[in-house]
Amino acid sequence: MRSSRTVRDLIVVLVLVFGVGSIAMLLAHVSPVVGFGALFDGAFGTRSELAETLVQTTSLLFPALGIAVAFRAGLFNIGAEGQLILGGFAAGWLGAQFPLPGYFAVPMVLLGGALAGGAWGAIPGFLRARFGANEVIATLMLNVVAVLLTTYLVTGPLQQGGAGASETAALPKAAQLPDLISDSRLTWAFIIALVLAFALRWLLQRTVFGYELRAAGEAPEAAKRAGIDLGRTALLAMAMSGAIAGLGGATVVTGVLHRFNTGLSPGYGFIAIAVALVGNLDPLWIIVAAFAFGVLQSGGIAMQAEAGVPREVVSLITGLVIIALAGRRVVASRRST
Amino acid sequence: MNATLAAVLAVLGLTLVKATPLIYAALGGVLSERSGVVNIGLEGILIAGAFTSVVVSGATGSPLLGAFAGILAGMLLAAILAFVSTRLAVDQIVAGTGLNIAALAAAAFGLVLVYHQPGASHEVPAFGRTGETVLIVLAFVAAAALHLVLTRTPWGLRVRACGEDPSAAESAGIDALKTRFWAVVVGGAICSLGGVYLSLAELDLYSDGMTAGRGFIALAAVIFGRWTPLGATGAALFFGFFAALQYSLQRAGVPSELMQALPYLAALVALAGFAGRVRAPAADGVPYVRQ
Repeated sequence: MRSSRTVRDLIVVLVLVFGVGSIAMLLAHVSPVVGFGALFDGAFGTRSELAETLVQTTSLLFPALGIAVAFRAGLFNIGAEGQLILGGFAAGWLGAQFPLPGYFAVPMVLLGGALAGGAWGAIPGFLRARFGANEVIATLMLNVVAVLLTTYLVTGPLQQGGAGASETAALPKAAQLPDLISDSRLTWAFIIALVLAFALRWLLQRTVFGYELRAAGEAPEAAKRAGIDLGRTALLAMAMSGAIAGLGGATVVTGVLHRFNTGLSPGYGFIAIAVALVGNLDPLWIIVAAFAFGVLQSGGIAMQAEAGVPREVVSLITGLVIIALAGRRVVASRRST
Repeated sequence: MNATLAAVLAVLGLTLVKATPLIYAALGGVLSERSGVVNIGLEGILIAGAFTSVVVSGATGSPLLGAFAGILAGMLLAAILAFVSTRLAVDQIVAGTGLNIAALAAAAFGLVLVYHQPGASHEVPAFGRTGETVLIVLAFVAAAALHLVLTRTPWGLRVRACGEDPSAAESAGIDALKTRFWAVVVGGAICSLGGVYLSLAELDLYSDGMTAGRGFIALAAVIFGRWTPLGATGAALFFGFFAALQYSLQRAGVPSELMQALPYLAALVALAGFAGRVRAPAADGVPYVRQ
C-alpha cells in the first residue's frame, strides 16, 4: 500500500519536474534538452559539483526529517524554517562566543543548535497541549518571529560582527565540522544526517515512543482511550521536530557558512515540506527525496548560469509538488482544536 | 500644537495606507475560513494580484484593466486552492503553503520573461491619488458589505453553515463543496485587491518580495479579529497603526524588529486564548468528504 503510493507519487513528481520545467524553459526560449542538460551537468558534472549537490541534500534532509516526525504525530509543523534559523543562530553565536578546544567545540555548537530549534518547536507544542492552540498558525507566525528575533539579536544585544553587520563573528577552526571531501563544502554533517534518518526510522517503527507518536497521528481518539497522553506526545513531537530542524541549521553554520548570517536559509524549511511529502514521511525514502531536491537546488544555479533559465523554475516546481502531494496522508487527527 | 496635530494626522494617514492591503487580504481570509477552508495562500494571492495587475497595466496603459486582470489572477489562484481542498479533500494547509511558494516563484520568473530583468518590473501607469483614496474607501465598504452578506443573506448563512458543520449543511440541502469553492474564490478576489493596491496605488511597479508577508499578517488579523469581517478590519487597522508608528518609534529607540513582530505575537496570544474566548469555525480546515 505504502510503496505503491510512493511509486504513484514519484510519477506525479517526475511529470511535474519535466513537464513544468520544459514549459518554463520553452517560455524562456531555451530548449529543454539544453536546460535540463545544464541542470544535471551542474549537479553531477564534476566531483565538486556532486559534493555541492550533497551539501544541498544535507541541508534539506535535516528539516525534512524534523517535519516528518511532526507530521507522523498528526502535527502540521510548517515552522521548520524558523526552527532551522534559530538553531543556526544559536550555533553561530555560541561557537564564536565560547572558543572551546577541539572535541568539545563542534558538539557544543550542534547541541546548542538542536536545543534552540527544539525550544522554538516546543512553543507551539506547548500552546497546543496546554491551550489547544492550532499549531499550524502558531508555527507559521513563529517562522516570521524567528527571522525578526535573530536579526534583532545579531545586530543588537548579541552583536559580534561589528556595528550594522547582519552576521556573527567567524567560527574558530575547532568549531567547524571537518570536511568529508577535500576542497568542497561537504562535511560530516552529511553522515550525521544519514545516521539520523536511520535512527528515526528505528525510533518510529521499533520503540514505544514511536508507536505512541504514530498512534496519536493516525487514530487520536483510539490512542487517547488506550491511555496515550496526547498533550505530552504533541509537546515531545514538536520539540523533537524543532530540534532536528535546529540541528540542520547548526550544520549549515558550522559546516557550510562558518558563521550565522540572516540570509542563512534560502527557504530550506519550506522546500523540506516537499521533501518530506515526496518521501512519504518515511525517513529512508526522505533520504532519496532530499537527494532529488538537492539535485534541483544545486543544478538550478548552473541552469541559470549556463542555459539562461531563471532558477525560480526550481521553486515553482517545488511549490507545485507540494500542492500535488498535499492529499497524501491526510492525517486523521487534523483539528481537534 | 499645529505641528503635533500634523504629526498625528500623518500617522493616521499612513495607518490607512498600511492597513488597506491587510484589510482586503484579511476579508478574503475571513470569507474563506467561515466556509471551512483555511487559506494559507493569502500571500500568494496578494502576489498574483500585484504582479498581474502591473503586467496588464503596462501592456494596455490602463490601470483599471490591470486591476481587473489582477483580480482574475487572484481568483484563479484561489480556485486552484478551492478545487484541491473541496473536490480532492487535500490538506489545505500544505496546499496553501505550496501555493505561496509557487506564486512567488512564478512572479519572479515572469519578471524575467516580461521585463528581461530580475528583481523588479518597469514603472507602469498607476492609479494616482484619487484612485488610491477610492481603493482605501472601498476596503471599508467591502468590510461592511461582507459583514452584511455573512450575517443577513441566505448565501452568508450557507457559508457559515459549511464552516461549522458541512454534513449538517448538506442534509439541509446545501451543496457544501460548491459553497466552499465559491467562498474561497470570492475571498481570493477580495484578497487580490490588496495586491492591486500595493503595486498600482501605493507604488507603480512590482518587485520581488513586495508583499513582504502581508498575507501572513492578514491571517493573524483574521484570528485576532475572531473570524469576523469587522473584527478582522479592526485588527488590520491596529497592525497598520503600528506599522505606521514604526518609523517614529524606531527613532525613539524601539527596535523595529519588535514592532514588526507585533502582529504575529498578538496572533499567538489570541490563539492561546489569552485575549478572551477565541473560537474558529468548528469545521475550519477540515476537508469535507461526502459519505
